[in-house]
Amino acid sequence: MQKTLRVPVRPLIDDLAPMSSLRVEYENGSPAFLKQIDWLNAHGFTYIRRTRGDGDCFYRSFGFTYVERLLQSPDRELAVSRSLKSLQSTNQKLESAGIQALVFEDFLDVFTSLIEGIVKPGNEGGTLNAEGLLKAFQSDEGRLISNATVMYLRLLTSAQILLDRDFFQSFVVHPDTKEPMDVDSFCANFVQALGKEADNVEMNALCSALELNLDVAYLNGGRTGVVDFIEFRSDANPEADPLMLLYRPGHYDILVRAS
Amino acid sequence: MASISARRLAKELREIEGEGCPVGINLIKADDFATWWFTIEVMGDSLYQGEVHTLQFRFDPQYPISSPAVQFLVTDGRTAPVHPHVYSNGHICASILGNEWSPVLSVVAVCVTLQSMLASCKKKERPVDNDRYVRNAPDNPKKVCRFSDY
Repeated sequence: MQKTLRVPVRPLIDDLAPMSSLRVEYENGSPAFLKQIDWLNAHGFTYIRRTRGDGDCFYRSFGFTYVERLLQSPDRELAVSRSLKSLQSTNQKLESAGIQALVFEDFLDVFTSLIEGIVKPGNEGGTLNAEGLLKAFQSDEGRLISNATVMYLRLLTSAQILLDRDFFQSFVVHPDTKEPMDVDSFCANFVQALGKEADNVEMNALCSALELNLDVAYLNGGRTGVVDFIEFRSDANPEADPLMLLYRPGHYDILVRAS
Repeated sequence: MASISARRLAKELREIEGEGCPVGINLIKADDFATWWFTIEVMGDSLYQGEVHTLQFRFDPQYPISSPAVQFLVTDGRTAPVHPHVYSNGHICASILGNEWSPVLSVVAVCVTLQSMLASCKKKERPVDNDRYVRNAPDNPKKVCRFSDY
């Protein structure tokens, strides 16, 4: 008899979960991963927010944690107005990279409206809170907000790579063959298209475009048991708190340090 | 707030009305943001001289994040061009309509790509699996083909 196997689908962005929930998944597997998970726990990285592995997880995690950081800021008004200013100024960058306003402005609008909602009450009266943000990234209606955010970040990343092509050219490789490839087809096929996973080039470009810092913890089964962080520093202040992601081969989640 | 697809399509429509379509491409129906029709013909020397075909675009609310469903119409005397990537039921095998779709593309960009797909054709023939495909074809032409040069 044939049975239909129902595999639960992970939400686009999941609730916050203790690091121990990730540990459970490796208990019958690699001891090297377990050691690294224990290392993270011992160093205060005690929570993880998991994302769906649909090829957009880097951009989606990045977008979510970017907004969440604004929500948690001690001076929200200031943080939001800085963020909006920085996002609006990407207009020019996108256009000079040859991306039509027609293509990006709706996505940018959706993302900035979400952020504006942190300080400006919406139609239903309240401002955006953590719960609302999660809902915005999880619900069916939110799929649009979530995907528009991913798309905006993808376009911005590609704009940065296209404008800094002299710098990025030497790092751009085809994700499957690892052969060098030209910046234009790389951007068209792997950055601007949904569902294509990001790597260091894209992370570097996006941090430069938004002038912020990002730490990516590499949970890769390295033998020393220590977790290496790849640090991207593009904020004028290198000490500014970085956004934090957790990388496992082929996937990104959001890494959260106990406050 | 209007949906992203309606906002985007309204802008694409304004641009088409303002600047016109590229040569050989004409918008013939866009009464809503669900279905648009274009006629398409290949200009200059080609195997398709004198042929005019009708392309149908169907949009879902996730457009332009999701690709439009594009096919040639084969009703009311219309036919699909005979081409190795076009099935006789009008479905088109083109990667930009599937896994290589990107929101950077627009309706007009798709028309132009399909026009040049026809223009560069060397031999008029149907895809090798035409009969089998057409017998079992899904309603949604997006599922046709994932790998081609277009």
